[in-house]
Amino acid sequence: MQQHWKRQAQACLLPLAAVLLLFLAVPLVIMIRQSFGDQNGDGFSFANFMQILSQPFYYDAFRNSFFISIYSALAGLVLAMFVAAALARMNEKAQEKITLFINMTANFAGVPLAFAYIILLGNAGLVTLILQHMGISLQSFFNLYSWQGLALTYVYFQVPLGVLFLYPAFKGMDQRWGEAVALLGASRFSFWARIGIPHILPSVLGTFIILFANGMGTYETAYALVGGTVSLVTTRIASSVSGDIFAQPQIGSAMAVLFSILMIAVLLVNQYLLHLFRRDIK
Amino acid sequence: MKKMNRFIITLFVAFMCLPILVTLVYSFATEWGKSILPSGYTLKWYAQLYQDPQFLAAISRSLILTVVTLAAVLVILVPSIALVAIYLPKFDHLFKPIVLLPYAIPGVVLATGLMRTYTNGLVPLFAVLSGGLFIYSLPFMYQSVRSSLQEIDGTRLMEAAEMLGASKVYAFIRILLPNIKIGIMVGSLLTFSAFFGEFQLTNMILGGDFETIRIYMLRVMKVNGHLSSAVVMTYLILLVIISALIIKLTNMNRKRSSMMREEAAFKPIVKGSPAHELLNH
Repeated sequence: MQQHWKRQAQACLLPLAAVLLLFLAVPLVIMIRQSFGDQNGDGFSFANFMQILSQPFYYDAFRNSFFISIYSALAGLVLAMFVAAALARMNEKAQEKITLFINMTANFAGVPLAFAYIILLGNAGLVTLILQHMGISLQSFFNLYSWQGLALTYVYFQVPLGVLFLYPAFKGMDQRWGEAVALLGASRFSFWARIGIPHILPSVLGTFIILFANGMGTYETAYALVGGTVSLVTTRIASSVSGDIFAQPQIGSAMAVLFSILMIAVLLVNQYLLHLFRRDIK
Repeated sequence: MKKMNRFIITLFVAFMCLPILVTLVYSFATEWGKSILPSGYTLKWYAQLYQDPQFLAAISRSLILTVVTLAAVLVILVPSIALVAIYLPKFDHLFKPIVLLPYAIPGVVLATGLMRTYTNGLVPLFAVLSGGLFIYSLPFMYQSVRSSLQEIDGTRLMEAAEMLGASKVYAFIRILLPNIKIGIMVGSLLTFSAFFGEFQLTNMILGGDFETIRIYMLRVMKVNGHLSSAVVMTYLILLVIISALIIKLTNMNRKRSSMMREEAAFKPIVKGSPAHELLNH
């Protein structure tokens, strides 16, 4: 009887299994298979991968995405650390309010964000005009529709994300630790060097990697702001696959495979680092 | 020190609000770009927008996509999550990583796989898109339903119902589901706002053939910025209402569970979870 029921319960999972198979497993397998094939998906060779690694048209996308993500993640991380540290010292009510505020603003990404930055920093943007009145030409050192603009726009969503991930670590830092250290005669500097920083370091590293991965995966904001003028992994894959005249789906598939491998590697490094530091703290 | 903290937080809030504020002003401005302040204010962009049949069509398309996919999620996914949690705990080792996997797969990768598999016309592309969105709802739904089940101790609740003579199916539908209603609603609202604002999969798989609200927004942005900012503000107000509902429901859940068990510190896992932010851009 028990066995019979178990089997029935398992049968109820079949629709979900079918969805997972149809829309997750099969597409990923076919994509991997095609990354080794020719234009029609036949044959087996590493030609697509060799082409990506040897032609700047393709590997530039990886390089651009990599640097924009590193810069925006670093800037986002540093700013988020200040905010998280300040937030952890506010009262409970304010903390709750700010968390809610961050969740609300999370909807403001992609097309709306790109557009708002155009209003602010575009050719006829508000900041551009204000600087012009002061006799400074923004265009002479900053171009919104380039990698600079992308990196700056990414910072807008990297900061709040970083705050959400970092804030628990800062909150976990007991104020009494500082007092105890001071009582024992240590300086503020040695408090941070020996207690503060080692305590938050795993979170900081983990957050950096999450922000980096977040930047690498960003598509909508980049697509809306620069279209195809700055080559990024995500937009390059999309344009290789979504059949415009330059459609080369097998290259798109191979890029997607490389991209996934890169992302998995990044996450594994994150796991390893966390492991390393956690043991260190113990 | 205290003043310093307040200053940093104020700066942060201002930084986050600035783009939204300029969009708001832009949507009411007759013209803005020649001088620092707009030359005048008007409601004509909103009037024009709400009379635009293409805007209404785009909203309807987004709604249809969202409602159809959400219905599939509620019928297929939610019962499966509850079933695994209560009757097949051995499956959980397998189930959990699969369900959380979409966090690790960038949208562009899944979209590539879906397109390479289904562009032959075997399955209508609308269904393909809907299936892709379904995959991305797995982590949201899993987390909100699971935390709700933990709150009410679903396994023991079902045992009690069966001991009192209810059949398994009856207990599941009439007792378990009503008790995790709030978790399901919170998960649904989160999924709703994610689906409603979806851009990447829609743009790659269907593009201009199925103009949803985000794709309409982008097209209008290139033609008339004022109109586009009116779209953005309308869209944001809608999502703020949804967020307010989520918060209200989460608070209800918290109050109820603290009445049930004093020691159980309910964590607003769903709404506070940083991971939920990841799926947005």
